[in-house]
Amino acid sequence: MNDDYAIRVRNLYKTFDEVQAVRDVSLDVRPGEIFSLLGPNGAGKSTTISMLACLLEPTAGDAYVMGHSILHEQMAVKSSIGVVPQEIALYEDLSARENLSFWGKMYGLRGERLRQRIDEVLEIIGLAQRQKGPVANFSGGMKRRLNIGVALLHRPDVLILDEPTVGIDPQSRRNILDSVQEFNRQGMTVLYTTHYMEEAQEISDHIAIMDQGEIIAYGTHDELVQIVGELDRIDLTLSTPPGQEEIRAALIQTWRQLDRVHQVSTAGHETITTEAGSPAEQSPDFEAAVDHSGLTLLVGDSNLVLPDLFETAVAVGARITSVDIQEPNLEAVFLHLTGRALRD
Amino acid sequence: MRATSLALKDLLQIARDWKSALFLVVMPILFTFFFGLVLQPDSQAEADARLPVGIVGREAGGQLGAHLERLLAASEVIRPVPLSEAEADEAEALVDGGELAAAIAVPEGFSQAVLSGQSPRFTVIADPMTTTGQAASQGIETVISRLLGAVQTARISADEFAAAQGFETEGARQAYLMRGLDQAVAAWEEPPLTVRQEQAVVSGEPGESEVPGGFAQSSPGMIVQFAIFGLITSAMILVLERQAGALKRILTTPTSRAAVIGGHVLAMFLVVFAQVLLLVLVGQLLFGVDYMRAPLATLLMATILAFWAASLGLFIGSISKSQEQVITLSLIAMFLFAALGGAWFPLEVAGEAFATVGHIMPTAWAMDGFQNIVVRGLGLASVLLPAGILLAYGLVFFGLAVWQFGFETR
Repeated sequence: MNDDYAIRVRNLYKTFDEVQAVRDVSLDVRPGEIFSLLGPNGAGKSTTISMLACLLEPTAGDAYVMGHSILHEQMAVKSSIGVVPQEIALYEDLSARENLSFWGKMYGLRGERLRQRIDEVLEIIGLAQRQKGPVANFSGGMKRRLNIGVALLHRPDVLILDEPTVGIDPQSRRNILDSVQEFNRQGMTVLYTTHYMEEAQEISDHIAIMDQGEIIAYGTHDELVQIVGELDRIDLTLSTPPGQEEIRAALIQTWRQLDRVHQVSTAGHETITTEAGSPAEQSPDFEAAVDHSGLTLLVGDSNLVLPDLFETAVAVGARITSVDIQEPNLEAVFLHLTGRALRD
Repeated sequence: MRATSLALKDLLQIARDWKSALFLVVMPILFTFFFGLVLQPDSQAEADARLPVGIVGREAGGQLGAHLERLLAASEVIRPVPLSEAEADEAEALVDGGELAAAIAVPEGFSQAVLSGQSPRFTVIADPMTTTGQAASQGIETVISRLLGAVQTARISADEFAAAQGFETEGARQAYLMRGLDQAVAAWEEPPLTVRQEQAVVSGEPGESEVPGGFAQSSPGMIVQFAIFGLITSAMILVLERQAGALKRILTTPTSRAAVIGGHVLAMFLVVFAQVLLLVLVGQLLFGVDYMRAPLATLLMATILAFWAASLGLFIGSISKSQEQVITLSLIAMFLFAALGGAWFPLEVAGEAFATVGHIMPTAWAMDGFQNIVVRGLGLASVLLPAGILLAYGLVFFGLAVWQFGFETR
């Protein structure tokens, strides 16, 4: 009855003591698609996939992986999935080949079949030439690739990746994203969690945005962007005299009351104090140093709003020193739905 | 099958760590040698292992004093220790303190009393509640009986001679009596027929003390101690596996929790079992400790000790959050179990109370089992109780380890 979907989640809850980590999550993942769970740290993504991987028992609800219940058919579920955890879950004193051999056996592979799959996976992850050295001597990127390779050994129907690109260099990240898309082209269903909006946007067929344990939006990238409609996103830098937080606070309050401004957020931005450099900054009001703080606004029409923003800034003794107008994206969707930035 | 794969992986990791060989094999051999030398019995005790019995008032001038001393010296059970007058007052204290197994006070005029057919009263100081005190008392009783028997024999002989031929003078009768007494006492020294009850001992020396010393103490002691210490590597693997997230990852594969625990405990068991067998071999060949006189009993003890130690290792690995905790807990376990369990020195030498408390420790039972084999020369039946109790301890630790394993699934 659930065989039409690779993953079907129904009203899943998980509570740790008093904290509800996952609340009423339901979603469907079709076979052969890449499905991303997008959300900030602590949104409940890892808890959700831990339940799907049978690592955590749900407090309520159920889910089906390849038609098997995570409550009642755990071994069948585990045989269907390959899990790539966020941490490097390998034995560093063993070689790449020894690691793959051990994990292959844990997936039930033996003999010639195991040797064949190890060779294939070593080729896929590009470690055939380094298969005999201890993993401890590998670079971070190589470890990440091996970490993924382990989950491919038994050719799982569903590949679950939990933030596989955290803390790695851009080249390795590119490599991983390309690999995930390649696995998908070969027919593997992929469940991918990330807090990088660009990654979800690039590789996903469907995206569920999670926040505080709930799915707050769900659809294709285009469908999600439609939520914010025609709104523009403006990232700007505000310069104020040092230590005068009240000027910034008053300005944000003023902007929130403007007709075409929908959201003003300071989240994800830092205030940086620098020496006054430009002639504009070298005024009696700004003295020798300047506080630069970033703000993100969702506005109806940026061309009409911008003059108002400049005018009101000058009126309170602040200056806008940079403006970046962007098309609506998932970051804007998250900001629109939660009032906070995704990168928080 | 998956449990076996997991155990083989653990063994591969242990084999990669060459330092573990130091703890598993080299250090126990060095410590066995060192402790063996320290615990070596002194040469006098080794030459004469009979129970020391203090002699108060030897009546050196009496007619039977010399005969009594000869019979005491000839005893296979007790060794006479002449006490000075000053020491005579402290005889009871010397017995209480264990320096003497017993003491005997020879009454004034005992020779005359015995020769005239009376039964003089000997005072024996001994603790009848201890096997040592009982054995010493019996030894004294035997010597006195032999002396009285010798006197009786000489008197009968003299009476028979008087009836047949008669003595010319009382002096001739006395001389005949004393010659007969000499011969009777000499006969006890070289009896034509001897029935001797021996307790089988490894060294084969009858009457040797059952308190283990030398390598017979240090070899099993270090086997037991380093079975615990050697677990550091195995427990460390468990902690690192959990820290790296590999344990969680294993649980995302079709591997049961029982297989995970079984695999780890199997690896630990195999490591300790191999270690114990190797050290038994070294003890046998290098230090002359005769484990092979009861090979099945030794094998049983090695197996159960390995299971107990593996369960302890699993428990330590389960409750430790870091590598430092593994080392700390292993050291605490080692010192506690080894020292109080009699692995460093025989519990017998520390007194009855200490020995009783010590037997709360599973290691004391492990030591009992091994020493029943190598010190007391007993067989398979003698290790069944120690092995059973050690097994029970192992099951308790195993249960605790499973309970604390930290799968964190709820």
